[in-house]
Amino acid sequence: MDEFEQELRQAFARHPAPPDLKRKLMERRRAPDPRARAFPWQRIAAVILLSAVFSGAAAWHKRDEQHKGEAARQQVLTALRITNHALNQMNSQLAAHGHAQK
Amino acid sequence: MAHDWQPDFEQLVDEHQSMVFSLALRMTGDRGLAEEIAQDVFLELDRHLGKIESAAHACFWLRRVAINRSTDALRRRKVHGLHLQVEMEEHHGVKSEERASPLSARLEQLLATLPEAQRTALVLRYQEDLTPEEIAAMLDAPVATVKSNLHRGLKLLRAKAANNLQEYVRQKEYARGV
Repeated sequence: MDEFEQELRQAFARHPAPPDLKRKLMERRRAPDPRARAFPWQRIAAVILLSAVFSGAAAWHKRDEQHKGEAARQQVLTALRITNHALNQMNSQLAAHGHAQK
Repeated sequence: MAHDWQPDFEQLVDEHQSMVFSLALRMTGDRGLAEEIAQDVFLELDRHLGKIESAAHACFWLRRVAINRSTDALRRRKVHGLHLQVEMEEHHGVKSEERASPLSARLEQLLATLPEAQRTALVLRYQEDLTPEEIAAMLDAPVATVKSNLHRGLKLLRAKAANNLQEYVRQKEYARGV
């Protein structure tokens, strides 16, 4: 260890702790931990918030599915109507053709 | 695993408060913050007292947690390098010049200008008198990294001292008989 390192060792000697550090520490130790008091409320708030988020997401998803189902039903009904209309037209044409042959 | 050592919290505070406070003060440069960190470290020790197996383990644990809490506090406040030096000058309740030689006080200020990893290594080496291997175990870092940080930190501090501390240079020259 050279002279500079010896000087460092002297310069970096421990500082004395503030005289009231221990007293303040013991007071904090005796006092109930504010984090412990806050914890149940934080947990309850988090549960409520998460429940609200999940309920909202589930309701939105259900509503979205209903909209999609309704749209699909309308499409099927429209397709049936078109088919029915086409069949009716074909029937009319066949009937007209039969009369003409007679 | 069962252990016979019966920790006494108040005795641990008496024995180690200076060490924990000094580590926090040299790492943060803020006397108030260092006191707060020291209290937090001891309260955390109180919560973990059942897991502490020996007096040496308590000392090791306190050093490690003091360093970790100090670096956490620094990162939260985003105080690095030169800014820390300003903080040190502004927040040290007792002016360092008043309690030590001007050279020691200046060296302590220059320490505050070093990068965090180098500062940590130097504080543990020269304040706590730990070997590079012990520092590596404490910081969960490779020994080579710690040695590199010590070497670079010492080199940088020496260079800064040579530039800034004319008195130091004069003393050295005088000692050499130049």
